[in-house]
Amino acid sequence: MSGLQHVKSCLSNQKKWSHLKAFISLHDPTKLRVDAERDCDYHAPHHMYPYWRLIAIKDNICTKDLLTTTASRILKDFKSPYDATVVEQLRDAGFIVAGKTNMDEFGMGSHSVHSFFGSVKQEGLNGEELSAGGSSGGSAVAVKTGQCFAALGTDTGGSVRLPAAYTGVVGFKPSYGLLSRWGVIAYANSFDTVGIFGADVDETYSIFETLDRHDPKDPTSLPPSTRTRIRSLVACRGYQPRWRIGIPLEYNIAELDPIVRSTWLKSLRLLQSKGHTLHPVSLPTTRHALSAYYILAPAEASSNLAKYDGVRFGTRADGPDGTPESVLFAKTRGQGFGVEVKRRILLGAFSLSADSIDNYFIQAQKIRRLVQREFDNVFSLPNPLLEESDSFAEVDVEKGVDVLICPTAPTLPPPLSSLRDQSPLDAYMNDVFTVPASLAGLPAVSVPVQHIKEDSSPTLGEHVGIQVIGQYGHDTLVMNVARDLEDAVCEDADRTGFEVGPL
Amino acid sequence: MLAQPTQKVFATVTKRPYICQLCLGRTRLQPLGTGHSYAPALSRALQTASNPPKDDVPYRKLLKDAMRKKRKEDRETSAPSKKPRKGKDPRLDKWELTVGIEIHAELNTARKLFSSAATSTNETPNTHVALFDTAFPGSQPRFQKETLVPALRAALALNCEIQQKSSFDRKHYFYQDQPAGYQITQYYEPFARDGHVTLYPHDFPSGVSPGDGPITIGIKQVQMEQDTAKTVQQPPSTHLLDFNRVSHPLIEIITLPQIHNPSTAAACVRKIQTILKTVNAVTAGMEIGGLRADVNVSVRERNSGSTQSGHSYHGVTGLSQRTEIKNLASVKAVEDAVVAERDRQIEILENGGVVEGETRGWTLGSKTTKRLRGKEGEIDYRYMPDPDIAPVIIGQDVIKHLRDTLPVPSDGYVKTLVDSTEYRLTSKDANTLLLLDDGDRLDYYLDVVQLLKATFSGNQRILDRVGKVAGNWVLMELGGLFRDEEWSPSRVSSDQLASIIAHLLRKQITGRTAKLLLSMKFESDTRSVEKIIADEDMILRPLSRQEYLDMASKLLEEKSDMVKDITDKGQHHKIKWFVGQMMARGTEGTVEPGTADVVLRELLGLPP
Repeated sequence: MSGLQHVKSCLSNQKKWSHLKAFISLHDPTKLRVDAERDCDYHAPHHMYPYWRLIAIKDNICTKDLLTTTASRILKDFKSPYDATVVEQLRDAGFIVAGKTNMDEFGMGSHSVHSFFGSVKQEGLNGEELSAGGSSGGSAVAVKTGQCFAALGTDTGGSVRLPAAYTGVVGFKPSYGLLSRWGVIAYANSFDTVGIFGADVDETYSIFETLDRHDPKDPTSLPPSTRTRIRSLVACRGYQPRWRIGIPLEYNIAELDPIVRSTWLKSLRLLQSKGHTLHPVSLPTTRHALSAYYILAPAEASSNLAKYDGVRFGTRADGPDGTPESVLFAKTRGQGFGVEVKRRILLGAFSLSADSIDNYFIQAQKIRRLVQREFDNVFSLPNPLLEESDSFAEVDVEKGVDVLICPTAPTLPPPLSSLRDQSPLDAYMNDVFTVPASLAGLPAVSVPVQHIKEDSSPTLGEHVGIQVIGQYGHDTLVMNVARDLEDAVCEDADRTGFEVGPL
Repeated sequence: MLAQPTQKVFATVTKRPYICQLCLGRTRLQPLGTGHSYAPALSRALQTASNPPKDDVPYRKLLKDAMRKKRKEDRETSAPSKKPRKGKDPRLDKWELTVGIEIHAELNTARKLFSSAATSTNETPNTHVALFDTAFPGSQPRFQKETLVPALRAALALNCEIQQKSSFDRKHYFYQDQPAGYQITQYYEPFARDGHVTLYPHDFPSGVSPGDGPITIGIKQVQMEQDTAKTVQQPPSTHLLDFNRVSHPLIEIITLPQIHNPSTAAACVRKIQTILKTVNAVTAGMEIGGLRADVNVSVRERNSGSTQSGHSYHGVTGLSQRTEIKNLASVKAVEDAVVAERDRQIEILENGGVVEGETRGWTLGSKTTKRLRGKEGEIDYRYMPDPDIAPVIIGQDVIKHLRDTLPVPSDGYVKTLVDSTEYRLTSKDANTLLLLDDGDRLDYYLDVVQLLKATFSGNQRILDRVGKVAGNWVLMELGGLFRDEEWSPSRVSSDQLASIIAHLLRKQITGRTAKLLLSMKFESDTRSVEKIIADEDMILRPLSRQEYLDMASKLLEEKSDMVKDITDKGQHHKIKWFVGQMMARGTEGTVEPGTADVVLRELLGLPP
């Protein structure tokens, strides 16, 4: 598709699907079309990918031409004076920012319903309104419905992978520290990772390659020396066509939806049929990971969101704020934040308080370290961030696994109507499979695998997100396995006579 | 057209150098203070790294106000009730004071702690601010490792152990001058621990230390942290914020509670201040906001068995309940506040009361500390390691290099200036010389003394006085002229001042003439001192013998009864009175006491 055709198609899809509320703000379509026509004509003979590809940016990533609201009332008028590094990198590569996508306020949520601008939706096979997943639901829906070429999201505890799984697109969370966070409005700094949505693995990976650069402005950006070391470790390991695939036994939980379980098994079978070997592994600490995450992330959030008091940042509540009994910003923060954000600020303030920090925050940090060690124990590749990883001599490639394969979410996307009766805890449960990789900063990608109802006449079923998790820094390996899975699913569909692909 | 109140705001602010019009517009639309008072002074003191509430009032004005207030109070309480101040309070024999001090000092660095924005003191407001300094959403800290250099110099000079690994934490509290909602500090892992500072007798203004020997005060730790923004008050209810100061690197020095005397507390702060200046670690003295102190004060009964009072602070056990007095901006304030708080606590205990753990405030010139908040108002700072800032690892090579190049502590200098026959300064003057103008003033003084020593070599009687006289002229006379201006050693060059002093010591000019000469040179008279003296005919003409005789006989006639006392009753010592009278009557400095004595004895017919 030429650049101009692509722009036209995206613009018409944006109009067609506007009721799904994937975007909070969009570029003026008329101007975009005129610019594209002039520009693409002029450059027509030379233009190359990704020239004039539209990319959607989650609304917690700063752009200087469009508002950056984080879907919050408190930042409803915030315009950043600068572009986030990832946005700058995309613009430099020739991408055009299509607009800012809807999300859960400040990234806190699993269904993209906690937005000041209204819930993100997707339509199920029979037309009902389903959860798009969260918190980057807008970005996932925008890619799924062809409103853009690809989209950026952020993944703190699964916020890219979960909506990718629910909507049926590829959602990739790279290793922590590879993509710059400069200009990404912090929810929980030590987890926040910029992630990428694409229609397939290759497109997703191409954007990852554009963004995979050291950024001196981000203190947690992996320095060039470490990147070089990881590259040499990967080269040392070499490419091999047969991977050792781990099946984490503890992920087969009772709450797992049967359709999800059977699709997981099918994915494993397909990979096995391509020559990869399957190995059961045990990750017992995983069941504490979710609790640890919901201590640590709100703790960091309560700190990060302290700045929105209406003095420097935050829309100030009308009229005088503060009474002799309260403080200058009580009304402003009370009005500006939604219910889920308030809940997490309170949780975080509690777990950091002098009386609770030892029992909550410190314990959770210990669990985080245990989860990381546990992953290190099952992977055949050493963690390149640890010092002993320098020597490769004693690595036994016949011990341990190269990647883990598991579902991204325990269930299919629930109907939006069912969420109203859910407790916050039910929503947190959706993150049970995504949070462990976030705690350890590992690369993980959700690949859509179509479920096929194998009764008398096989019919197309729902998308199920299958997750590939790899050792820290081995993002390319993870994406290679994801591509193998994608190919196997396609071949399988060809064999059974179904066409599988985006839309 | 501007509304009336707005015009007033403009009128007030146009007197200032610059204020962002955008901010001003905002204050016009949305008055921040909405009539109700949330007590800025009170909230301001909730934090450690902050100025006294009246941020924009010059220190000298505060001092003047305090003096005026004190004078007024003295008048009102009238003279007769003047307390026998000199007498020692007998209660102090029963009660022992314990003080620990936290000192915050602005580091002398080119850049802010977490951004490459320049540090500044008197620049146009809000011109030296990076995105992170104002906590822009999405911005991240970038630790400026160069800021470690002055911090390490300070810690080494305070004999601390530098920690190989240190880290930064967030200390949460809300205040308008804190854009992030937290201050980045070192709570869990400070960069330096376990130091000490030694106070010698010369560190006390009196030259005598309580207990008469050197006193060693332990330093628990030294940590790095961010400063806050500066609030510029526009009465009645507008608060303008200047973010130039936000994130200026500070160090906080925490002493152990090992101080038992208010003058020791003051000496300790002054000494730390001197040390920080000597090793070029800090920007300014305490008086212009570069240094601020909080003190923890408790009082316990002596010889009461230390197990009875169960409090322990920083590992020092057996202490009583303490209170904290925040935001003391001068050495004098530290001493006065400690005295006031000690007396307040003793009063409570003597009356059978209980001291409550609380935070108190002190304003210059007041007699008592004021309660700011009690334990129930205590803020839980929810210290959390900052997830964006990696731990700081300091190599032994850096520490060794800094230790090797550390300027010598000033103790040696002070000792020389006080004890050596060449100088004979008071310890107060010696310390002042060291503190002023990054040591430039000391250099200048030493130059003057060298020149005078050369001039008077061999004349031991004058040589003995040279150091003290030169100190007086450099600090008092010349210092007075520089009061409102920045010091410059070339304004009156050292050889010109030495020349003035030499003329004075040779009695070639009077003291008044010497002062006149100094101010002429200060006001940039380009002629040399010798030339001015010659041109203006300033040289002191010695009196002739006849003039002495005339003056003496006139005086003796006037006081015939006293003459009788001398001649008839043999009260020869009364001659001294006549000598004094002659010196007072003659033009300043013209009457030599020796010659007058000879002439008087001659006239009275007494043996010389």
